[in-house]
This record gives sequence, C-alpha cells and structure tokens, in this order.
Amino acid sequence: MAESLTSRPTLAAADAQQAHAHIDADTNTGISNTKLGMWLFLASECLLFGGLITTYLLYKHPLEGPTPHEIFDIPFTSTSSFVLLMSSLTMVLAVSAIERGEHQRMRVWIGATAVLGATFIAGQIYEFTVFVREGLGFTTSRFSSAFYTLTGFHGIHVTIGIIMLVSLVLLSLRGKIPEHRAETVEIVGLYWHFVDVVWVVIFAVVYLIPS
Amino acid sequence: MTVTSHDNVPTTVLDGAVKDYSRDKVYVMTALFLAVLTLVEIATYAFPDFPVWADELVIPVLMILMAVKFFTIVYVFMHLKFDKPILTKLFYMGLVLAVFVYVAMLSTFRIWFDGKHG
Repeated sequence: MAESLTSRPTLAAADAQQAHAHIDADTNTGISNTKLGMWLFLASECLLFGGLITTYLLYKHPLEGPTPHEIFDIPFTSTSSFVLLMSSLTMVLAVSAIERGEHQRMRVWIGATAVLGATFIAGQIYEFTVFVREGLGFTTSRFSSAFYTLTGFHGIHVTIGIIMLVSLVLLSLRGKIPEHRAETVEIVGLYWHFVDVVWVVIFAVVYLIPS
Repeated sequence: MTVTSHDNVPTTVLDGAVKDYSRDKVYVMTALFLAVLTLVEIATYAFPDFPVWADELVIPVLMILMAVKFFTIVYVFMHLKFDKPILTKLFYMGLVLAVFVYVAMLSTFRIWFDGKHG
C-alpha cells in the first residue's frame, strides 16, 4: 500500500491537534497490539508485586536476627530512590525526543536513563552486601527472605529494563527506530516507569513506614 | 515522497519535524513535583516529631504521598492522561484486583490488629 510520507504525522504533531496524544493503530481499539500487550503485562505485574509486598508485610517482624530499622540506611536508600525517580524523567524525555524525530537526543536520554538505572542497581548491590556483612543473610529470618525476595525481584526488573534500554540505543544506532516506530521506545518507557512506580511503593512501605 | 513499506522510511527524513513541542516542560515540572514529594517523605524520617506527621499520623501521610507519586507517574510519564481511556481501565483492573486480593489476604492474617485481639 503506497502512502505519502509527509501525510504520516509524528506523535508530536498529532498531540498538538488532538485531545488524545497518540495516533490510532489499525486495530479495533485503535491501540497497537504491542502496546495493549504491554499494559496487560503491567496490570498482571501489579499482582506479582502485590503478592511480594503483602508477604513482606506479613513477615516484617523478624523472630530472630536484625530488625528492619536496625539495618536500613535511609539516607542512602533515599538517594537511590531519587536517582530512579529522575530516570523516569530522562526516559520520558527520550520518548518525547523520538516523537519529534530527534534521534541523537533520544539516544542521549536513553543512555542517561540506563546510567541512572545502573547506579540504582549498584546501590542495591552495595546495600545487600552491607546487610549480609551485618548478619542479615537470605535465610537469617522470615523478614530477611521476604525483604531480599521483594527488593531482589524489583532489582531484576530494573536490570531487564537496562538491557532493553541498551538494546534500544544499539537499534537506534543501526537506524532501526524511525519515527513511525517511536512506539517501541514508548513501550520500553512504560516498562521503565512501572518499575519506578513499584519502587515508589516499596520505598514508602518497606523503608519509611516505622515498625 | 512515496514509500511502499514502513521499513523503507529513512530514519533521518523526519528529524526535527516538530520543533515547537512543549510537553517536555510538563515532564520537567512533574519531575520537580515528584522530587519535592520525595523530600517530604524523607523528612518524615529525618524529623519524626514534626506536628503534621507526628506519632500515628506518619503512616497516612506516607500513604497519601505514595499514592500521589504513583498516580502522577502513571498519568503523566506513562501517558494515561493523554492516551485512550481503555488503557486506564485495563491498568486499573489489574491494580484494583491486586489491592482487593491482598487486602483480603492481609485481613485473613489479621494484620490490622495486634496479637491480643486474636
């Protein structure tokens, strides 16, 4: 099917003219199957992390070993949380850049997002190392196993996100992400933002709420 | 210019096609708002005797701050505010189901009461 390139609006152009930001896909819902699939996946992830957070709440009072607030380093974790929060800004700016067709800027923002994510993971590894040295191993108490499982699962999600971000940069460098595929960046962005909102909950429920 | 396949569109053709695009400012302002909320959250730990969140008020205050941050990210950064309503409904289906299931589970384990009520 032949079509004019100039008749294909960028998302930014569509946003300027329409109430809804995104161009309709050729599906019954007007949403691409990939994007719909990602939202379904994220909805199911609510159940996964809900289960892990609930388990932590049930087991947060250890019968043996250190208690949460004896070992948590709140200033350090606050800094990590801030880093992850700011990575959501760089991610959304990357999506915005590719919607405008600014490939170089998109790569810079995605690179920044990956670096911030890696910083968060490095902080988490450091935190785990300190906890183990202070006597809180995975099997030390029911609190420790629930804590490491919850935050560890989140860390794995962040790591997968970093791999996706690096892949996006490599694809972009090979010219595989033109504007009409900006949705690829947006979908990775959805995953990344979800990882961030999960940490928003973990940070408040696990670290900040007093025992 | 006419193309026959999406794959044939050169990646640089539309570079900079829309320059006057100001949603970035909304994103930066949203990030600043989230940063301020995070600072307030940290303040509940640093200054536990502050009247607004002293004693038992700290948990509701933290829950409200958490919810505001959560929905701000979901609506602005994840574009639910700008996107089709069906995506909002889809996400809320999972979220509400998760909340109901796990509140029921926590209630089953009587987490809302201390031991002497059991």
